[in-house]
Amino acid sequence: MSKKFLIGVFDDESALIEAFEKIREKGVKVEEVYTPYPIHEILHGMGKKTHISHAAFFYGLFGAIGILGFMYYAAVIDWPLHFGGKPFNTFPSFIVVSIVATILIVTLATLFTFSVRAKIFPGKAAPIVDVRATNDKFIIVLDRETIAGMESEFDQLFRSHGASEVYEKE
Amino acid sequence: MEERFIFPQKLKYLTYALMAIGAIAFIVGFFVDAGRTWANYLLNNYYFVSLAIGAAFFIGIQYISQAGWSAAFKRIPEAMAAYIPFAAVFFLLLYFGMSHLYHWAHHSAAETDELIAHKEPYLNIPFFYLRVILFFGLWIFMTKLLRKVSLREDAEGGMVYFIRSERYSKILIFILAVTFTLFAVDMLMSLEVHWYSTLYAGKSFISAFLHGSSVITLIVILLHKYGYLNVLNKSHLHDFSRYIFMLAIVWGYFNFAQFMLIWYGNIPEETVFFVKRWEGAYKALFYANIIINWFVPFLILMPRKTSRSKPVMLPVILLLMIGQYTELYYDIWPAVVGSAKFGILEIGCFLGYLGLFGYVVMTYLAKASLIPKNHPYLDESIYHHF
Repeated sequence: MSKKFLIGVFDDESALIEAFEKIREKGVKVEEVYTPYPIHEILHGMGKKTHISHAAFFYGLFGAIGILGFMYYAAVIDWPLHFGGKPFNTFPSFIVVSIVATILIVTLATLFTFSVRAKIFPGKAAPIVDVRATNDKFIIVLDRETIAGMESEFDQLFRSHGASEVYEKE
Repeated sequence: MEERFIFPQKLKYLTYALMAIGAIAFIVGFFVDAGRTWANYLLNNYYFVSLAIGAAFFIGIQYISQAGWSAAFKRIPEAMAAYIPFAAVFFLLLYFGMSHLYHWAHHSAAETDELIAHKEPYLNIPFFYLRVILFFGLWIFMTKLLRKVSLREDAEGGMVYFIRSERYSKILIFILAVTFTLFAVDMLMSLEVHWYSTLYAGKSFISAFLHGSSVITLIVILLHKYGYLNVLNKSHLHDFSRYIFMLAIVWGYFNFAQFMLIWYGNIPEETVFFVKRWEGAYKALFYANIIINWFVPFLILMPRKTSRSKPVMLPVILLLMIGQYTELYYDIWPAVVGSAKFGILEIGCFLGYLGLFGYVVMTYLAKASLIPKNHPYLDESIYHHF
């Protein structure tokens, strides 16, 4: 089952933002916006929140505790060795390894989490709505179902705000 | 955009009162316990000059990185850097306390001590003061130059002053990096004349930058609270927080690296520093330093929400101001005073310097428009948003 989309192509940022805000005023959910660079109004307007920073924090916390715990277990509990007149629990020297290992754990775990959540994996074909979105055009995508019966109205809205092109796509 | 800061009469009297308290504390202190008072003198002088140097470095970094967001606030670090000439006078007066503070300054020290004799070509009083004069001369010259260009930009406008400021800033950060590290070695590390650490100077520099940035933020927040700097928004606060957050991490890194290498190397010449500081109040201060200067800012300023909220940032900054004090106290007191004494003398001396620093900063804030008028990045700064 494929969805139908109404796509508005804009030449510049300000026109896109105006149209975007008009659509939101009407209470219609915008499916997706593609722009060549991040735009604050869109970032806020889409209202999408990410918890990936929280995930990263807890990966870091558990990573640090895990590495410290492992080193303590290895050096103090399981196989204590005397060297250099140091105590078994050479805590300051554990910290160096913990920092480096924590960075690695956070990076890999966050990358993996992001890939799973965003359903991205190596070799996946990119779902490009309009190839020009990767170049210099600004694109708003609306789900046809959310604007059922008002297609022409939104077609007009796009065009009156300076859309250079409006078309439908499956 | 013309915005004038007016130095309120009440605050002026308050700074006078604080200065009077400081003067009384010092005068009484010199009669009661001269050594401890000189330790206070050194600590407070270093404390406030490091804030001024941190602020000067902050200006330099903003110009070199062509940072847009901070353009509206550059008068605050400028006013803080104006404290350097006052500090120069105090550091020259340190001459009378040399024998109380520095073991190497005694005439007999070099005769009986081989290590001090070896260090004497560098650590002797004439060369020491030659360096102090040279360093302060360079700092005053460079900061006054930047200030002059900044004021002429206000009056005339045009890109030429921005380009000139950027060029001067490149020289300034080079000068500060070289001279302030040597300055920290002279003033603080040579207190423990037998001891040396290659990371000490770097740590001192980062510490100055960290606490300088915190105080810049503090002044910005206070000015905003009393109706000035209305351009301040959450994004600016977030950027200030990022400076504090980032520098707290670097501070933690330097502090830990210095300790860990000495602990691991376990060479008596190096460990002597920490052996002295591993008992009683000093041991508590060792951990307090790490918690105040690294752990608290690191944890609290990490989330996006807290790092752009004034009620959260303010206590963190005040804690960092205490952190700079405890850090210097930890370095100076065991070397000069011995036991960890803290009382009315310390508080009085600090308040005196706080009054003077406040007086200088506010006087210089009142001298020019609080928001620079023709800075090319001013609009970007006012509409800063992310």
